[in-house]
Amino acid sequence: MSNQDIKVKDISRKTDQLFTLDTKELPKLPYPYEDWEEPPIGDISETKQAKYETNLDGIMNVQVPIPKTDAEKEQLVAKFLVGLRKLLSKDSNWTFLQPLMLSLDNCVKCNTCSDACPIFEASGRAEIYRPLFRSDILRRLVNKYIRPGGKLTAKFTGADIDLNWETISRLAQLAYRCTLCRRCAQTCPMGCDNGLLSREIRKLFSQEMGIAPSELHEDGTIKQLTTGSSTGITPLALADLMEFTEEDGEERTGMPCKIPFDKSGADILLIHNAGEFLSWPENIQAFAVIFEAAGLSWTLSSDFVGYDSVNYGLFYDDTQYARVTLKHAETARKLGVKKVVLGECGHAHKAAMAIGDRIWLGEANIPRESCMVTLEDIVLNGKIKVDPERNYFPVTVHDPCNITRSMGIIEPQRRVLRKICPQFREMTPHGVHNYCCGGGSGFAIMQSNNFPSWRSMVSGRKKMAQILNAFTREELDPKVNKYVCAPCSNCKGQIRDLFNYYDIWERCHIQYSGLVELIVNCMTDAKEGFIDWEEFH
Amino acid sequence: MATFTLGEVSIEVDEDGFMLEPEEWNEDIAKALATTEAVDILTEEHWKLVHYLRDYYLKFGIAPMIRKLCKETGFPLKKVYELFPSGPAKGACKVAGLAKPTGCV
Repeated sequence: MSNQDIKVKDISRKTDQLFTLDTKELPKLPYPYEDWEEPPIGDISETKQAKYETNLDGIMNVQVPIPKTDAEKEQLVAKFLVGLRKLLSKDSNWTFLQPLMLSLDNCVKCNTCSDACPIFEASGRAEIYRPLFRSDILRRLVNKYIRPGGKLTAKFTGADIDLNWETISRLAQLAYRCTLCRRCAQTCPMGCDNGLLSREIRKLFSQEMGIAPSELHEDGTIKQLTTGSSTGITPLALADLMEFTEEDGEERTGMPCKIPFDKSGADILLIHNAGEFLSWPENIQAFAVIFEAAGLSWTLSSDFVGYDSVNYGLFYDDTQYARVTLKHAETARKLGVKKVVLGECGHAHKAAMAIGDRIWLGEANIPRESCMVTLEDIVLNGKIKVDPERNYFPVTVHDPCNITRSMGIIEPQRRVLRKICPQFREMTPHGVHNYCCGGGSGFAIMQSNNFPSWRSMVSGRKKMAQILNAFTREELDPKVNKYVCAPCSNCKGQIRDLFNYYDIWERCHIQYSGLVELIVNCMTDAKEGFIDWEEFH
Repeated sequence: MATFTLGEVSIEVDEDGFMLEPEEWNEDIAKALATTEAVDILTEEHWKLVHYLRDYYLKFGIAPMIRKLCKETGFPLKKVYELFPSGPAKGACKVAGLAKPTGCV
């Protein structure tokens, strides 16, 4: 069907694929990418197509198995209805019932959310990616199949919808075409949260039907709860990695880079996203150098799960979320620390600091703090010596959605940047109005099938444009090294993939990394050149 | 899941061509997998990298961080990309029979 003709009720259509994205219709990128042509997004392999649904848009991240018989389809639809009832019940939905109900009930269809959604805009306004398209499917299903007299009302209101396998299998995929960035919720005059609706749809499919992306579930929370980390790092591997990280950090900075573990009674338990241990060890080193130089009493934990702040349950499943956050709370309680500091990972902030309030109770009610605040205190109060001239290159900052829009932590990181980066400038828009990196809600770790192409071309498109627009034409010349400060592991993964896809180092010499790396790069006691411009190229 | 077959070699691989049963790895499998990575002949340098990754994986259950790999094999990252064009995580690890990396890496 052509884009403009697709209506909400078409979700139930018994056609193969509802929509195909034409990459020629995508909005143009700014200088120097005006002439960049996007290739078509590749197809899914035939083996995959035979096993999993591609009936929405032919893009695959979550894999929805195709039922073999009509009876099986009916069973799955019945299961979905059971899950939908649970979503709306006080006994089953202990996390988000109230905002869910408000978002279902209060929408006036003004479509303000559509203009706020980076995926809708960057897709060339594809109807199926309109925030209201997804939430209206859910709303209509609730109104017709759960509320008393709903079937009759649906006929009169014109908001009818058929509940069949096509509807629910497409809805499952649609819940994974949203990064849960919640820009829509921020702009809604009625306070409806389409991002939360996507997240609750994901929860229904995971908790009731066992359907979730393998990166979040089998290779995510399950792996974390069986090996200790979603990366597969066991306590034994951690010890080996840290030994190397300390030596390498001392060599790079010429400063002490001691990484303390399991220090009972330390003031601070610092928890990193374990992705840093493997992919961005300079982040671990920079934290160690700064904390040691500032004379903090701090420790990491080598306790099972306690060394990986990741909690993918936040994105798709309350039960898995609770299991993981309980382990984190238990780790902090056992060590007897005064507070927990979350490293540069956005969703870990929200999981432990905001949603965690439901779980970190009693003895485990230990204060939790963003590293942005800890770092602000160190840098602004002169606890380390810095020479901002060492950071004399154009720097902009990416705002991780969970830290900024969801939690309102905006200024601490900026006060640091204004002090240590003479050429710091904002993106437009920024702070709570930022755009998602395009890898939010676990998208950045979904590396299979044709999804990475969609992620670079569509969900990351607004961010790519924002980054380019943060620099002048003269600065975009590859002779000038430029830096995007992205203080979040997930965002870094996405920005790395975006930069590779758009060949941005060769064309523009833009590098990305976190906040702590910039701090160490200008510490007067450290060797010059902690930021290695060529390292990843 | 799919079956990858080349000559005498027949193994189960995931959608990205990584081995699903990494414990079954041997050098013949490495040679076969290398063809999927645009590497026709495994030279001494390729084997050095592959064996380093393999040994680390058997000891610790994961791939090492790239910095450590470069330092301990003496190959700068550029060289690793020359040997395995799709890079250390996708190319070299696949040939060494490691499972696909997971988590925020």
